[in-house]
Amino acid sequence: MGHYVLRRGLQSVVLLWVATLISFSIYQLAPGGPLQFLDQDPRRSAVDVARLKHLYGLDRPIPMQYAAWIAGEDWYARVRGMARWQSGLCAADAGRCSRGIVRLDFGRSFHYQGEPVLNLIAGRIPATFLLAFSSLLISIVIGIPLGIVSALHRGRWPDHTVRVSTVLVSTVPEWWIGLLLLIVLGSYLRVVPLGGMQTIGDGSPGDVLRHLALPATVAAIGGIIGFSRIMRFEMLEVLNQDYVRTARAKGLSPQLVIWRHVLRNALMPFVTGLGGIFLLILSGSVLFEIVFSWPGMGRLTIEAINSRDYPVMMALFVITSFLGIIGVLMVDILYGVVDPRVRYGNGS
Amino acid sequence: MAQEALTTPRPNRVRERTIKPRTYWGSVGSKLYRDRITMLAGMLLAFMIVISVAAPWISVHVLGFSPTDVNLRERTKPPTWAAASWTTFQEFTGSCQSKSGCEWSLWRPILSSSLAGLRACFASGPGTCHWMGTDEAGRDVLARGIYGGRISLRIGIYVAAITMTLGVLAGLVSGYYATTAIDDIINAIILTLSSIPLLFLLIILSRIFTPGPEGLALLIGIFGWMGVSRLIRGQIFSVREREYVMAGRAVGSTTWRILMRHIMPNVSSIIIVAAVFTVAGAIIAEAGLSYLGVGIGPPLPSWGNMMQGSLDNFSSAPWLVLAPGLFIFVTTLAIYLIGDGLRDALDPWVSAQSRGREG
Repeated sequence: MGHYVLRRGLQSVVLLWVATLISFSIYQLAPGGPLQFLDQDPRRSAVDVARLKHLYGLDRPIPMQYAAWIAGEDWYARVRGMARWQSGLCAADAGRCSRGIVRLDFGRSFHYQGEPVLNLIAGRIPATFLLAFSSLLISIVIGIPLGIVSALHRGRWPDHTVRVSTVLVSTVPEWWIGLLLLIVLGSYLRVVPLGGMQTIGDGSPGDVLRHLALPATVAAIGGIIGFSRIMRFEMLEVLNQDYVRTARAKGLSPQLVIWRHVLRNALMPFVTGLGGIFLLILSGSVLFEIVFSWPGMGRLTIEAINSRDYPVMMALFVITSFLGIIGVLMVDILYGVVDPRVRYGNGS
Repeated sequence: MAQEALTTPRPNRVRERTIKPRTYWGSVGSKLYRDRITMLAGMLLAFMIVISVAAPWISVHVLGFSPTDVNLRERTKPPTWAAASWTTFQEFTGSCQSKSGCEWSLWRPILSSSLAGLRACFASGPGTCHWMGTDEAGRDVLARGIYGGRISLRIGIYVAAITMTLGVLAGLVSGYYATTAIDDIINAIILTLSSIPLLFLLIILSRIFTPGPEGLALLIGIFGWMGVSRLIRGQIFSVREREYVMAGRAVGSTTWRILMRHIMPNVSSIIIVAAVFTVAGAIIAEAGLSYLGVGIGPPLPSWGNMMQGSLDNFSSAPWLVLAPGLFIFVTTLAIYLIGDGLRDALDPWVSAQSRGREG
């Protein structure tokens, strides 16, 4: 088990490193570079551009920029020969040195008046987590029973109903369903708020819950479909096993066979689906946060890209990747705990 | 004597009685032909494609509105046939918010004035009726919708082409060369791409590069082939140790030939079905990106960016949300049903069951 966890852990570190590479290359590949907005200013001169490039350290070779972004540049002054790789800002004022994302310094926002990026994002994480985990919970609570019911009544009306409705729902974007529900329930019937996470001036748990109900349910649609499909498939698989036939043959009541023999074994592989669906919900949060004006990381992403706020974009990508990778890692470890075959096999 | 018997033509009695041999694709075709739902879905999709292709003609001769004509006097107007009933409908929704509950009797005037409006619209010529209302710049929503199909369907097809090419290639190679370095590399790429939240990456990339329809399709395709690759890889595992593959190897066929002649035909049905579903997925993905304002930008209309304008006034102008969504719904539903029908038609075992005696 320790070996398995270690291997998956190392794999996750590599994945995280790849995510930083992707994030950094976005910054480098952007047409015109991160200072492109200067091109719109008719009064800019080549000298100004060069000065700004030096200040932000964009005149350094790309590997040095990457190193400074990852590991920081404050320690360059103490290492002989490294001081010349500091950015202009850092050389002028030691307080403005980047400390590197390994020490959780994601730089300062271009758009929000030099606000540290980490503060910006940390303020948004609770909202995204609240939405993501409550919709994960809803999708488990609804999706798994749906899958079980349709497997037990395979080929009869409960199965058909579930199948037809999942197909119908997946033919339209989930966020569009959210918009429609918002129009009907929020605007016409006024049973749910029109968006946001709380009423201004209120912020009690009940108020947040009222705001959360619709977004969490809509964000759970994808997960409900996913879990019900996985569960149906697994149930049918287990129902065909010899030990189920044996249990039936020795005269156990059908309920007992289902509860003790089928469900316990069918629930195990569902854990594998958990990681993918968590990622789906995390990814989808961008759309749902826009539709429901939810003040989370997804909305921050849209705000950052619309203002070309590169430090925030890069940090958001790295942090959401980190959350995704950690989520999948935890699910895999959990899977290793519940299924002994994974621990001793090659685990992939 | 024997020589003569072989060369002289004999009346071929056997031929008259032989049943025309049925190829696999022939049976697929006839099964599809008999499947009413799939045929209906096919017609529906064909209709959507035709109105998209003929959009320039339709918008001039049938609708009388161009998708880019801005008319500031007609901003966010409800569908013309519902102009009268819309105010009654708003009265109805207003009554639902009051304590006395919904005023259901209002539906009679709503329905009758809508019907009258529809009749008037059918009677009038092109250029008088906005069948689906107008958007925040006074453009005709229906004209934009049929033009949007040109973009959305194109992206769907492009994405399917890119996804299938990448996914099938990666799946074939990693399945055939399983547990070698190539397989490991492909698996590492898949693992990376499937453990980062791709929507964030897609949004950032499509904002930075502001791609056209082709570029957007490329982006969606590059980040969407992993599922197909896994599917193909799994399938290849089940056929790569079969006798005919062994035989091919034994007679010295090249790897490429074995892959293309012996393995591909066995996974082709899965590839076709996956491609059909990918088109639907891509249309939905494009709608999402364009809705966020990072996909297809104005002035080109797409089903996603038509809803972007509804961000601020979706409750006062629900047709801006409903109309593009209906286009998406009809198209993807047709595609899903076709995919479902194809899956059954391409599966030789399903035919054995349904045809009973013959199988």
